[in-house]
Amino acid sequence: MELAAMLGCPDVAFRQPESEWEASVTAAMRGAFAEHAEHNAFYRAQCEAAGVGAEDIDTLADLVKIPLLPVRMFKQPDAHVLMTAPLTEVELEIRSTGTGGVPSVARRDVKTVSRVMTAIFTQYREFFQVGKGAGLFLCPSTAETPEMGMVKAFNVLNGLLDDHAYIVRDYAFDPEEALGQLDKWEESMTRHIIGPPFLVGRLLRYLELEDIALKLDPESLVVTLGGWKRYTGESIGREEFNAKIEKYLGIPADRVRDMYGMIESNMLAVECEHHRKHVPPWSYISIRDVENTDVELAPGKTGVIALMDALSTGYPAFILSEDVGEVDHTPCPCGRTGQTVSFRRRLQGAELGCCAVSIEKFIDSQEIVAECEIPAAAAPVEG
Amino acid sequence: MPRYSPTVVDHFTNPRNAGELDDPDVRAFIGNPVCGDQIMLTARVTDGTVAEIRFRAHGCAASLATASVVTEAALGATLGEIEAWDDERVEALLGGLAPDQRHVAALGRQVAHRLVTNHREGVDDDAPLICA
Ligand SMILES: [Zn+2]
Repeated sequence: MELAAMLGCPDVAFRQPESEWEASVTAAMRGAFAEHAEHNAFYRAQCEAAGVGAEDIDTLADLVKIPLLPVRMFKQPDAHVLMTAPLTEVELEIRSTGTGGVPSVARRDVKTVSRVMTAIFTQYREFFQVGKGAGLFLCPSTAETPEMGMVKAFNVLNGLLDDHAYIVRDYAFDPEEALGQLDKWEESMTRHIIGPPFLVGRLLRYLELEDIALKLDPESLVVTLGGWKRYTGESIGREEFNAKIEKYLGIPADRVRDMYGMIESNMLAVECEHHRKHVPPWSYISIRDVENTDVELAPGKTGVIALMDALSTGYPAFILSEDVGEVDHTPCPCGRTGQTVSFRRRLQGAELGCCAVSIEKFIDSQEIVAECEIPAAAAPVEG
Repeated sequence: MPRYSPTVVDHFTNPRNAGELDDPDVRAFIGNPVCGDQIMLTARVTDGTVAEIRFRAHGCAASLATASVVTEAALGATLGEIEAWDDERVEALLGGLAPDQRHVAALGRQVAHRLVTNHREGVDDDAPLICA
């Protein structure tokens, strides 16, 4: 299938027979690779150094030849060299600030934004079949954090719903306000809960402490995106998380759906009811040997996650991440084909770098920020 | 109006005075702990005039361009002149800003003023003013 056809017909695109999926994803990658190698001088130099051109990409097994950009390059001051599109074409600068404080900035041009918005919307429809109801967003609004990737992705989901409430404001979260909002929607709308795992966890902790067990609606969903490891280093266990959602929100595990993505890539892998995160066929995940990231590991082996994305025209979105995980090419009981991905952990030495960590850190430490020695003349600017 | 002024496009694409001076007379750093925009200036000052200046910046394209135009405007300027800059002056140097880019004018003005204050008081920002 052509890229445009896949974006337009997700039900078919996610269920292509194996050989067709291989051909579709290879063709999409070859096309994107050819564009960046031709129009991006910095990337072309990498391709020339590696001695690889679009004509060398014939089969899925050839995708490993496509040169990767280490994700930390997006933090560099001279990140403008990564751009294939001129700044005049850049529409959205999406950023993520991890525990290190230096932001990673991904600049998306007009064409990429159109494709990504279509892709994310399409995936929400494909995986959640949601088109009405109310969303309790346990995150700041896009008005408060216009450049935060996670919030931007959640906000697309908002467009499919009839009502919404953003519960995090000025980096403060009040679980009582969340309950009040759920109460208000009861009897009139199906209630969904959307947010990073740690904030859903906070709501659950509150319900547990107050001994309140809610029973949300038959079609309610819990949709999460963002890290499962807190900035403190503590991990949130998925099984326990699902069990608590069932107990305190009355939502069964098959309606708790996590997603995986990173702001530098346009790929969003969404969980099906079997809790497998499906990589869309316009993206490909290549698992690399931790010791030598030029080497691709077989499905099922754990290694560094490389995300290759054919939607990006702004910069070559062939990215070597600092995440560790594996892919699975075996058929999923849901009937969808292609790859599924499992995130395991961050690479050793990598900072925790995602929007969720940044929100959590600031919710927890507003007092610490206030106590920081910021002389009056250097008061933080808005932005 | 285009999304980025021609000046912002020019300075983002071809930054002037990028880098860091070895052994500068003064160093100034401004950062936003939430969104992460950061500018660090290092400069040599001779007879109250900026003789040499470099920047390091992280953040959105407009903030990177701000760092570049601020160094260009500061080079050869007296500290008194720089102290008179306000947000409007920085925005004018950038050839105008879209509403969602306006925060960088304050960032540029603040880091320029901080350079002057730090030089006068003989202090340095050797660490980012960010809670990591
Ligand atoms: Zn599935």
